[in-house]
Amino acid sequence: MSRFIATAAIKGANDIFNEAETLYQKALKEFGPDGKIGFPNTAYYLPVIYGFTGHKVETVADLVPALNFAKSLLPTPPKENIWLPYLGETLDSGVATLFAEEIIEGIRFALGQQPETRNGFTFNGPIDDVQMRSWGIAMVDGRMPGFAAIIGAAKSNEVAVKIVRELQSRGQLVFLAGNVNGRSMVDQLLEEGVELGYDTYTVPFGSDTISTIYAMGYATRAAYSFGNVKPGDARSMLLYNKFRCFAFGLVLGPVTDLDYATGAGAINYGFPIVADTAVPHILPTGVTQYEHVIGMPFDDIPGDNDLEKAERLVQRCIEIRGIKVKIAKVPIPVAYGPAFEGEIVRRDSLRAEFGGKGGICFEFLQLKDMDDVEDGKITVIGPEVDEVDEGARVPMAIMVGVAGRKMQKDFEPVLERQIHHFLNGAEGIQHMGQRDITWIRFSKGAVNKGFRIKHIGDILHANLHNHFGAIVDKVEITIHTEKAKVEELIEGARREYGERNARIAGLSDETVDTYYSCSLCQSFAPNHICVINPERVGLCGAYNWLDCRASFEINPRGPNQPVLKGATIDPVKGEWEGVNQFVFENSNRAVDRMTIYSLMDAPMTTCGCCECVMVILPETNGVMIVSRDDYGMTPSGMTFTTLMGMVGGGLQTPGMMGHGKYYITSNKFLLAEGGIKRIVWLSKNLKEELAEELKEASEKSGAPDLIDKIGDSESAPTIEELMTFLEQKEHPALTMDPLM
Amino acid sequence: MPTVEIPVEKWSGKIHEVRLGGQGRKEVVVGGENTLPFLHFEGSIPNPPVLAVEVLDRDPRDWAEPLLQAWGDVLKNPAAWAKKAVEVGANLIALRLKTAHPEEGNTGAEEAKRVVSSVLEAVDVPLIVLGPEVAEKDNEVLVAASEAGRGQRLALGNCEEKNYRTIGATCLADGHVAIGKTPIEINLAKQLNILLSDLGMSQDSLLMDPTTGALGYGLEYTYSVMERLRLAALGGDKMTSMPMICTVGEEAWRQKEAKTSEGVPDTWGPLAERALRWEEMTAISLLQSGANIIVLRHPSTVEKVQSAITRLMG
Repeated sequence: MSRFIATAAIKGANDIFNEAETLYQKALKEFGPDGKIGFPNTAYYLPVIYGFTGHKVETVADLVPALNFAKSLLPTPPKENIWLPYLGETLDSGVATLFAEEIIEGIRFALGQQPETRNGFTFNGPIDDVQMRSWGIAMVDGRMPGFAAIIGAAKSNEVAVKIVRELQSRGQLVFLAGNVNGRSMVDQLLEEGVELGYDTYTVPFGSDTISTIYAMGYATRAAYSFGNVKPGDARSMLLYNKFRCFAFGLVLGPVTDLDYATGAGAINYGFPIVADTAVPHILPTGVTQYEHVIGMPFDDIPGDNDLEKAERLVQRCIEIRGIKVKIAKVPIPVAYGPAFEGEIVRRDSLRAEFGGKGGICFEFLQLKDMDDVEDGKITVIGPEVDEVDEGARVPMAIMVGVAGRKMQKDFEPVLERQIHHFLNGAEGIQHMGQRDITWIRFSKGAVNKGFRIKHIGDILHANLHNHFGAIVDKVEITIHTEKAKVEELIEGARREYGERNARIAGLSDETVDTYYSCSLCQSFAPNHICVINPERVGLCGAYNWLDCRASFEINPRGPNQPVLKGATIDPVKGEWEGVNQFVFENSNRAVDRMTIYSLMDAPMTTCGCCECVMVILPETNGVMIVSRDDYGMTPSGMTFTTLMGMVGGGLQTPGMMGHGKYYITSNKFLLAEGGIKRIVWLSKNLKEELAEELKEASEKSGAPDLIDKIGDSESAPTIEELMTFLEQKEHPALTMDPLM
Repeated sequence: MPTVEIPVEKWSGKIHEVRLGGQGRKEVVVGGENTLPFLHFEGSIPNPPVLAVEVLDRDPRDWAEPLLQAWGDVLKNPAAWAKKAVEVGANLIALRLKTAHPEEGNTGAEEAKRVVSSVLEAVDVPLIVLGPEVAEKDNEVLVAASEAGRGQRLALGNCEEKNYRTIGATCLADGHVAIGKTPIEINLAKQLNILLSDLGMSQDSLLMDPTTGALGYGLEYTYSVMERLRLAALGGDKMTSMPMICTVGEEAWRQKEAKTSEGVPDTWGPLAERALRWEEMTAISLLQSGANIIVLRHPSTVEKVQSAITRLMG
């Protein structure tokens, strides 16, 4: 906590309190104790006072408890030689300030001095109830993030207009108050012919800092109306505003003691304060979501001119408050939607392609620092698509830089993999592959309609915000189409792909304390719940542990929930107390125990989406694994479909289990039953597809030639033939501990 | 004769009690049971299921003949229609703001306010107000309905995942009950309840519509999802413990069996009777899977289903 700010805020609070007390004496003399006090066209009395204390102010006499309460909160300014964490005192003085300000405005109304009239312009005063309701609903349903309470005046009229336009373009309400040497932002906007009022979402409260109280009153009343908050329940009111009302204060020009004190009041609501002058920062998060106070001296903001600086200033406010960008429509000249995802661009309609046979094209998404990403910036370096020959194969590097408070390095591949899905949504654009095997085709039709390489950037920018807004705050895209540069960049990307692979390979179940669930399939398998851990991919193969973790960050109420492992019951079978408890509660109490590495003891249940089914073959003392893509008969006398019918639906069937294909090559594969050496039969397509990984896993298991000893539909189509085959090959399962 | 011991399940959960109306208006309470439907020997069922009659804000010219005949002239006037519905036994009125649909007139907030007020004035039973089921228009007219009925504790629907915030917010502001509608899926139903609760709605201000499939058109699917929701609720899951509302009339009367008399086998019997059976059977089946509010269309179904409820409540 800044001692400087604490001192200023406490001093400001004491001063304004004295002013309120003096004014109260005046009101008492003029109107008597029964004189009416209140704001017109608003419910909830003096709303801030009512919100914090539940005390209703209707008369002059009612002001006394409010004054007393404010007084009780007033601390003395810090002494020169004592250094303390002043946060508590500063916040208290902030509340005292808000009380004093509201009392002053209440009395001013009684005196006929509010709403304020100045130079022939009548300010708005408090926001009336009808408007509060309408905006309140928009804030709840997300059409309007919150408000910016501006105090003071901008560097110039031009900057004032720019700031307001930038805020409006983000759906942010603008409240105006305060002045700098008699000049206010309201004056600046009026001089520039900017319409003020409810219709333009720009509300002039008054020309002094005190009128900022109407912003706090608005926030308080919204919490009552839409947050189910009861009067006097200050904590709920503040939490409501912290998490639901994305508001912040923006102090333009020199910051006075009263500004600091009012700002301290706003921080109580979770509203951070940004100043365009050099003020001490209060960086640690706590009462507000991120930083509390930030000073950005206007002339030091990077930018070629004042307008750019103004834009950056607003951008910073948006970041500090954690306001998310939503893009209603992907801004490209061709149609966009899931209907175009399967579309193929054939040679005769091809305008240009990137990657593919003999070409080079890659996509690379990287986490960057907030300051290194300029949101919405899309750059194409090298020839555009209309500058290349028809049918040309053009090199391409799609470099996506993302920044976000909650973005993690581990989420890079999760987001990067979505590029395929995002780009395919555009009509006339075909995307295949990923990483450095990306292959993109533009059709003539799309290019004729105006689709250009830069629109790849627009698609990614819009979609990353819309789908991953919870973790992504800023997205910048640079696309290179010059061969030399692409070849240079691909080296770095490949290094990073390699590191990502290594990182995922290095993730083990022991190194994490949380697994994730997946309940997506409960619609048809109500008692089934997946538990996904780093070393066992989801049985559908579509979700690994990292995907689930990202999904939870993006949608905390969604189908992927954290499962705390809790105490280990059996490390070999893979049984944990936390997992059991979670499974019990989320399987409609149908499954009370579930192991993750065992086939024979409480195996994982299956919904119906598994990539493979594993079945014990008792005669062989081993297991066979049948792939979903294997339509043939198996040694068990059943096809995949029949087996699926027996194992699916959320049943726990020891000896049978569904799983993802990459589980086979996991270090934790069938740990309880002896691992990969138990496999005696494997669908031929899997054997081929996973050849390399299987070889590696076999070597690790100490049986390097295992793969040759595993039967398939050709070498051992029936159980009798399989037995002969296994004996001939001396399969290790034959001599392992009995499975049953 | 050997005595058979009836097995009694001990449930830990209970359905939330939701109050509609009140404050001068008749009050209807639904929910509160702590056992499966009508198992009086096992637990308590303080509030019987109730029946709402669906009233449209415009003449339902496309409705089947038996319905047009049964209601007659009142169909031209929502207030008169609602009044007659109460006379034939409706515990609630479910007013559907059909004309707000972009293809049915695209009326807006003003018209919604007017119709809601006129129906509120005409009857003293609680009101359910349903939008045209186009998210954007729902938001517009339900917010208006909410204001018109402030303090009357209406039920407003439908909240769906796309627009639950707006309707939830207006319910919070005006003290109404929100109806969450999800497409026959237990987890989606639960998730919407969680989202509405996150918004600040209390558990006694939520109803859920699991989406009704009529007899022959997914009834068993709805039945099974409702049953599972109810089992989960009684098992202690607070987020599935909301009373359930089923729009039976709308679904049953939409089917061929309730509309057509031409080109169908003789064994189907006369339309007038067949159509009524369709609505009754759908309604009575869903009562068995835990429906708390059933929205009907035909006056004589109201009588039949009411008599079934009375008998089942013993």
